[in-house]
Amino acid sequence: MSLQSALGQLATYRSQNTRASQDIFEKGSLVLQKNGLKKMGDNSWAFLEQLTLAAIDVGRLDVADQCLQSLTDKFPGSPRVDCIRGIRVEATEPPEVALKYYGELLEADSANAAIWKRRISILRRTGKIDKAVTELSQYLDTFYTDVEGWLELADMYATCGQYDYSLQALMHVLLLAPQNPFHVLQAAETAYTAGDLPLSVKMFLTVVDMTDGDDSDSLAESAPRGITVRAWYGVKLCARRIARDARLATISPSSTPPPKHNNTLDELATERLRVAYSSSGQKGEIAKGREEVFTWVAAP
Amino acid sequence: MVSYTILHKAYVKIFLHAAKHPHKPVNGVLLGRLSSGVVTIQDVIPLLHHWTSLSPMMEIGLTLAKGHAESVDLSLVGYYQACERIDDTALAPVGERVVEQLRTQFSDVIAFVIDGDALGSGEVALIPYLPQASSTSWRPQTLNPPAFAPGSRIMLADPQTPSRAVALVRDDHLHHEFGDFDDHLEDVTIDWLRNNACNITDP
Repeated sequence: MSLQSALGQLATYRSQNTRASQDIFEKGSLVLQKNGLKKMGDNSWAFLEQLTLAAIDVGRLDVADQCLQSLTDKFPGSPRVDCIRGIRVEATEPPEVALKYYGELLEADSANAAIWKRRISILRRTGKIDKAVTELSQYLDTFYTDVEGWLELADMYATCGQYDYSLQALMHVLLLAPQNPFHVLQAAETAYTAGDLPLSVKMFLTVVDMTDGDDSDSLAESAPRGITVRAWYGVKLCARRIARDARLATISPSSTPPPKHNNTLDELATERLRVAYSSSGQKGEIAKGREEVFTWVAAP
Repeated sequence: MVSYTILHKAYVKIFLHAAKHPHKPVNGVLLGRLSSGVVTIQDVIPLLHHWTSLSPMMEIGLTLAKGHAESVDLSLVGYYQACERIDDTALAPVGERVVEQLRTQFSDVIAFVIDGDALGSGEVALIPYLPQASSTSWRPQTLNPPAFAPGSRIMLADPQTPSRAVALVRDDHLHHEFGDFDDHLEDVTIDWLRNNACNITDP
């Protein structure tokens, strides 16, 4: 692999916040080996941060410590470097030591959001989920626009089976980042799990609307791809359950009206899934598991 | 009282699923057959790694997996799960619900939680869970002799399996070829039901 393509891939991972630690570690080591650090200019520091975290993930603490040393020399007293050092402490020290380290930093600067979030993550992983939820709620009172924080809160509630609260947290996410279909999808699936089928089907349809190509092409010719397929599965599941038991359409804690043409929705979802499994994919390969899916959509 | 035997292919697939998503929870179902008091776990179908606490794709995945299992003359005989944290080996509430549901169709159902600490060691990285006689709660099963020890009720078909599985990940990077239902829902050409590229039968 050339240095150029490694640098490009690493930059993509950084911009998309991808945790592909093994790959980052391998490509990052290559960059160091080929003396690529100088070519990066100002990006080299973000790269060192990325490599430190990946090295901690794959257990190469020797490499992590080297990178961390370079960062500390360049930015003494930087809150961002303090946070990476905290993660390094978490990797080998008991949770109490890390909590103490974060506690001292927060005493000096209570508005250090990254450090506060690290502390909450330790509370969660040491099983103090109640305390983690309380602290994260307090945190979000202060840093309301932190989408990642709301997603974490939604996940904490979901793992405890508190799906109504999880959905409420996701509603804040949708207000803050309305253009991201993955968040709508997560809300749709959470609404389903919480027993609010009218809201769920509405949100699955929103995902279809947001992701299904451009509407100038005729619908019949384009096969659904990517998360649009997942959304159609969701529509199909909701529509079928409502068709089997009409009372489900009237149960909605969010007061969402029942879907008006449930049978048509059911048929449309069936047709869209059939198309998705009948046409070949981007690489010309055919869909797998077609018989199982056709049996499923055809079941009464 | 039935005993359980895990074939090489099934163990390897569980291992690949966990190795592919080291910082996420994953889950899936076990396929097998009961014959003269022995449940042979022959294959697995991997389900989720995104939102393992949410039910819609789990419900659909289970139905499709059941349809596939029947088409190859096998039953869903169990469930497996890996936790997000390496030191967590508890069967999640969702897992309990899934196994209880499987139990309505196969009474000797078993669950395994992946032991993150043992995963890379070459030891057997599975902790068996069986239903408690007196309640509906599931607990890690303490057996005598312990699971996977000689003479135990729960055995691997081949004792070489765990170390071979480690090599398949470390040397061959086979986990990159592995896909679950979540992957399939993003790209329907991924063969989550069969994972033919990962059907390794000989240790």
